Amino acid sequence: MDMSSHPLLASLDEPPPFPPSYPQLRRLDRSVVCQICKEPFQAPVSIQCGHSFCSACIRSSLDAMKKCPSCNEPASEGHIRRNRALEEITDSWEESRPVIHGLAHPPTSKKRPAPEPSSKPASSTGVKRMKQSPRAEGSSSRSQSPTKSRKSDIVESDIPIDLDEDENDEVLELTENDEAPCPLCQASLPISSIPMHIEKGCPPPKGKTNGMRKGNQKADWKKVFSGQGTSSKAKEVEMKRITKPNYSLATPADLRGLLSEYSLSTTGDKSALVARVQEWIILFNSNLDTSHPSSLSALRAKMSDVEASKKRDKEKGKDEMINQMASTSGLRKYAKESGGEFERLKREIIERDKRRKEEEEGKGSGRDNAIEVE
Amino acid sequence: MAGLAPKRLMKELTEIQSKGTPEGIVLLSADDMKEWVFLISVLGEETIYKGETFALRMRFGNRYPIEVPEVTFLATEQYQPPLHPHVYSNGHICASILGTEWSPVLNAVAICITMQSMLASNKKKERPEGNDRYVRTAPSNPKLTRWHYDDDTV
Repeated sequence: MDMSSHPLLASLDEPPPFPPSYPQLRRLDRSVVCQICKEPFQAPVSIQCGHSFCSACIRSSLDAMKKCPSCNEPASEGHIRRNRALEEITDSWEESRPVIHGLAHPPTSKKRPAPEPSSKPASSTGVKRMKQSPRAEGSSSRSQSPTKSRKSDIVESDIPIDLDEDENDEVLELTENDEAPCPLCQASLPISSIPMHIEKGCPPPKGKTNGMRKGNQKADWKKVFSGQGTSSKAKEVEMKRITKPNYSLATPADLRGLLSEYSLSTTGDKSALVARVQEWIILFNSNLDTSHPSSLSALRAKMSDVEASKKRDKEKGKDEMINQMASTSGLRKYAKESGGEFERLKREIIERDKRRKEEEEGKGSGRDNAIEVE
Repeated sequence: MAGLAPKRLMKELTEIQSKGTPEGIVLLSADDMKEWVFLISVLGEETIYKGETFALRMRFGNRYPIEVPEVTFLATEQYQPPLHPHVYSNGHICASILGTEWSPVLNAVAICITMQSMLASNKKKERPEGNDRYVRTAPSNPKLTRWHYDDDTV
């Protein structure tokens, strides 16, 4: 078939690849990609054998089989370790990629082409990240950990140099507890709380920002197991890895309790509850493996997305469809039916793109608080 | 954009578009992110399938690539499944990569290559033992069959 005009590809927002004349850059580009989802690592973790994947990817995979997807070595969730260096590498590569891509085009001289003043690469930093945490351009590069500022000297080539920010060595010595001015409102805050502060839309500092998330664990669990604590009541959620329940021993009430603790739907039979708990544990635990976690409500939105698509799958009655495919009239019918589905997918993608654009412009004004980790 | 599958498949499609498929493997249709059909032929003079082309259908669930896609050879008027000791006449395939040996780092093209080499290494055209019995009772989805992988030679 002619792939050049494939309708499904038209809307794909892939960053442009590096030209073949730069095999090193292509290799670098590939090396920060998770082999399961084939996307740049998100919350990368390593397992025993040394292979790394997105936290959510390997957690789902280990739910299905207890071995490394790359080398077949036995593996289990207990082996998962957060890979902070890889996250930093992925993030900084994502951020510098547009810059380097700009420099690599056109491939005139291989050795350090002079930075062109006209290039405007920083505009599309990290397509993937943008979607996850739609922050303003300026904030996204600074709202992360303090070591990040090293990257600024790459970007600086086309930005009027800001001397205050450029003193790399000094910045690197700061610890998370030191105070620094917020890059947006200049209010002085502990560095570790600046990302949160920006997410909240720069409210004036209140004095005490940390240490209010302790919660009474014992009471929480009591609530969980007595099956009370319905929905919205459980606001203060402990940001701690969820331990997997023993699904064969857990009663539906146990599962419902766990779900309601995180304000999730508690409908359905046991298998539906188990599936939901499993899905949530993957989302929630992998969200703790990153230094830019999503908000709880973003996680919940992701959950309902997954559930909706599962429902669609089920309702379709897969086996029925296969029988249908056996006859030519059935085939024709299928083509007709899936034509609509295809249209729907297309529409979804177009709408998603539109939404994303709006989000980028509107800087996600009404965003919830991000989860605070460590 | 629910789940991993559509995005991942989109990536694979882009890669096929930019790099093409290996020789002897052609993407016949990929109209959506649920079902793709590849055409597979075995290259070289040695093969017993010289001049034959088979259609391999893959169905991707929402949990792809964590879960293996459902893979069968098409058995239609136009395409017949290959005569092979691991391929039943209804198109079902007994191959460990489609069962216990599946890994989420694999992709659609990797499955095609495996199938191609499975055919290439075969020396005699025959159906698996108990083909008729299996085909009579087989579920329409081969993933529901419990397979035994015991023969590593072909």
